[in-house]
Amino acid sequence: MAEAQLKDDQAPRKLAYVNAITEGLHEVLKEQPEAFLAGEDVAGAGSVFGYTSGLLEEFGADRVIDTPISEKGIMGLGVGAAATGCRPIIDLMFMDFLGECMDEVANQMAKMRYMFGGHARLPVTVLTMSGAGMSLAAQHSQSLEVWLTHLPGLKVVAPATPYDAKGLIISACRDDNPVFVLLNKLSLALQGEVPEGAYEVEIGKANVMREGKNLTLIAYSRMVHEAMQAADQLKEFGIDAEVIDLRSLSPLDTDTIVKSVKKTHRAVIVHEAVRFSGFGGELAAQIQELAFDYLDAPVGRVGAPFSPVPYSPSLEQSYMPNAKRIVAETRRLLGV
Amino acid sequence: MAKPLGIAVNPASGKDIRRLVARASVFDNQEKRAIVRRALVGAVEAGVRDVCYVPDSHGIAKSALEEFEGTLRAEAVESPQTGSVIDTVGGARALAERDCGAVLTLGGDGTNRAFCIGWQDAPLLPISTGTNNVFPVLVEATLAGAAAGLVASGRLTLAEAAVRAKAITVKVEGQRDDFALIDAVVTRERFVGSRALLAGDMLKAALLTRADPAAAGMTSIGGLIKPVSKDDDYGLYLELDPDADGVNAPIAPGLYQVIGVAGHRRVAFGKPVTVIGPCVLAFDGERERALKPGQKATLRMQRDGPWVIDVVRAMQLAAERGLFRIKKVRRTPRKAS
Amino acid sequence: MTIQATDAVLLDIHERMVRIRIFEEEAGKLMENGKVPGALHLYVGQEAVAAGVMAHLEDTDHITSTHRGHGHVVAKGGQFNEMYAELYGKAAGYCKGRGGSMHICNMEIGMLGANGIVGGGIPIAMGAAFSKKFRKTKEVAASFFGDGASNEGSFHEAANMAALYKLPLILVCENNGFGEYTRQDNHQAIVDVADRAAGYGMPGVVVDGMDAIAVYEAAGEAVARARNGEGPTLLECKTYRFYDHVGVRGMGLSYRTDEEVENWKQRDPIKLLEEKLIEQGISTKRKINALHKRVREEAMAGIKFAEDSPLPDPDGLLEDVYYVQA
Repeated sequence: MAEAQLKDDQAPRKLAYVNAITEGLHEVLKEQPEAFLAGEDVAGAGSVFGYTSGLLEEFGADRVIDTPISEKGIMGLGVGAAATGCRPIIDLMFMDFLGECMDEVANQMAKMRYMFGGHARLPVTVLTMSGAGMSLAAQHSQSLEVWLTHLPGLKVVAPATPYDAKGLIISACRDDNPVFVLLNKLSLALQGEVPEGAYEVEIGKANVMREGKNLTLIAYSRMVHEAMQAADQLKEFGIDAEVIDLRSLSPLDTDTIVKSVKKTHRAVIVHEAVRFSGFGGELAAQIQELAFDYLDAPVGRVGAPFSPVPYSPSLEQSYMPNAKRIVAETRRLLGV
Repeated sequence: MAKPLGIAVNPASGKDIRRLVARASVFDNQEKRAIVRRALVGAVEAGVRDVCYVPDSHGIAKSALEEFEGTLRAEAVESPQTGSVIDTVGGARALAERDCGAVLTLGGDGTNRAFCIGWQDAPLLPISTGTNNVFPVLVEATLAGAAAGLVASGRLTLAEAAVRAKAITVKVEGQRDDFALIDAVVTRERFVGSRALLAGDMLKAALLTRADPAAAGMTSIGGLIKPVSKDDDYGLYLELDPDADGVNAPIAPGLYQVIGVAGHRRVAFGKPVTVIGPCVLAFDGERERALKPGQKATLRMQRDGPWVIDVVRAMQLAAERGLFRIKKVRRTPRKAS
Repeated sequence: MTIQATDAVLLDIHERMVRIRIFEEEAGKLMENGKVPGALHLYVGQEAVAAGVMAHLEDTDHITSTHRGHGHVVAKGGQFNEMYAELYGKAAGYCKGRGGSMHICNMEIGMLGANGIVGGGIPIAMGAAFSKKFRKTKEVAASFFGDGASNEGSFHEAANMAALYKLPLILVCENNGFGEYTRQDNHQAIVDVADRAAGYGMPGVVVDGMDAIAVYEAAGEAVARARNGEGPTLLECKTYRFYDHVGVRGMGLSYRTDEEVENWKQRDPIKLLEEKLIEQGISTKRKINALHKRVREEAMAGIKFAEDSPLPDPDGLLEDVYYVQA
């Protein structure tokens, strides 16, 4: 802290999202002797996204562990080790690979504590990469957060900024529950302010990124930045949009959402995942349950179309939600 | 006269606890199937047309024979299907009834012992797929099949290609008799348990038909003190005591232990060796029988075991007699145009 | 060199087996009479496996089990009161009525749960074994699973990783000849699951799963290997369940003959062990009968405890979904 104050008059330290992840992992491995990081290519290769680079050299092969390409095994490793005194950090290279380990996630990790009458504690953190935009096509680009948020027993966070990436990783690893940290591959180079040392971002607490009067844009992960751009563009149509970064999908900060909607009377939800059956459905339902009388317009939802993620850049660009589409949907709903 | 070739595969050989304690090798059943196939190739080339096999619980022999449909007439003999040693014993009896001219067995010492309980003077060619492999031979299966095939098909006689093995018969007071090919060992253990005979400090005595310094198993204990070959017309008795001076012997593959030997003596054929319980009797490397306190067993050695076909001798005879020579049918040479 | 079972160990194994048998027989009656909800998969017939392996394990060693898990809990030291209470869905049960038969556990004695998913426990046990190595302990983990589970991807991934990292894990395959109702020869092309061990670079051993002493000896070697840092072992125990996949019907089933069941019952693991105990003068018929009687009384007391216990408070429905920091 003292050091941070000394640098007060300097410009805040900026770091890329990818390096913020590394710093978060670094802090955790430093402070928790029971923590280890295991996953495909996390040691020798520093992860395919580069966010574990340097950790092997610093913490050694006992704590930064390359695994076989065996997602069931890796996830089971996390569950078994967490239940017996370790604090595993599991790297699931792509979120799409959840299909390979859904039993370990859904039937074991999420339920063990409950099934065992509270006699198990599972301090396991899973990092996984979501999102489209790199022409990785249908099996390496998905946003499958609802597969996880539908499971009682898991916590699910999705940092949009470098600051939150580091802080949420630290919070997740200090939590004694299984926490999924959904990273975003198109955000890896995103620069942002990141303090040195360890700090937490509270799991279950949304962040109001920008205050506004007559519209609430609710987003998470990379769509927060698209929502911010959309808010800028909406000014010219007389709309002063508030932007909420959920940061945590489960548990969900319903209070912040409801408070905002009660103030602005309008809400548009934005996520990169397929709109149909997406997380926006849950948000829209909660808003109408808790703030129906305050609404001046139907709750809008912006998401990907009901299609696998395409390969060709031109197709993928038209697949992914963006600021332009948020603006268009908002104008349609509000009739401006 | 051509007789059927018999096949008996022990699916359970090469899988016991000795994989853990003694670093013994694992014989998976795919490998056993491949061995039978190669042996059958040799047998066919040697002239075999009829095969009788013991239907093992894993279907190894049956599936190995599938690709020889049309080449070989295969018959599954009636035998028990218990998944235990009873299957091998019963299968041997059935092969004896079918008067097989030669029998290929796949297993270790224990398998061949069980087979001989069912058919004591069987014409055997034992291929090693077991743990303790003093009795069976490490030989390429193709040639084993060829050698056995030469005998079965009547192209070589048993007397010229085989040697009769020594054996130990065991009379157990009040219970069924038993049998050993290589060694009968008395231990202070109480249970048959996992069968493996690995506790050197529990050994009390051993009667060996062979004392082979170049083999792994109980035979090595005697072999390193006073070798007795399979051709010698006597055996060796060892009095074992952990407190006595000993010999560092490979009592199982991959496992040396110092075994205290209090005394040793030659044992003539027919001379009885008496054992009184409580003790466990192990035959050919496996704990088999628990004797109650006071219960008596009498062991006797004779050269009345199976005939064992010698692959080298059989193939040398085949060479001398040109049994595999092929005369080229010459056509009139065409003129170069 | 080999592990020799002492008299005390044999009596201990015998008691564990009798406890399993009687617990299960009484549990089966409860299910028949509609006293307990849900489905019970009884362990009767396979007792030698749980008892023979567990005799080598301490409370600090962890196991994972299957949907047929009561036997493993009993053998690991589970108490009848809390077990029956769990089957009844009572608050005093090991899982406070939240898990039931298929998730019965007791973390305090290293029992990481029965598991409703076939093969579900294997990667977890591998993770527990990893934890033991990571924390530089001498503890081991064991996973019990069936021939059916050996066809699940989870088995193969966990076996590979256990061998790769040389983890202190014992993979105990209880080959009872059936994956649920499907005969082994109809669900895999091999007969010895132990053959698969070589494919992962670990030793595989076949042992008579009806002979508690054989299981004890073989498991002892596997546990010793694990404790010495020599890595995992696949220990296949050939066994048989006397009852149906679910419930207490043993005979007249469409997928197996009564003759087959009778043949296996000739080798009832408890009967086999009791014969040896008497033969060797380690126990007597009278002592054995007294043990059966004592355990039966304990079971009845456990059932009474369960019946008298209160049901869980519905207000607490959401407790234990998450750990909440105090």
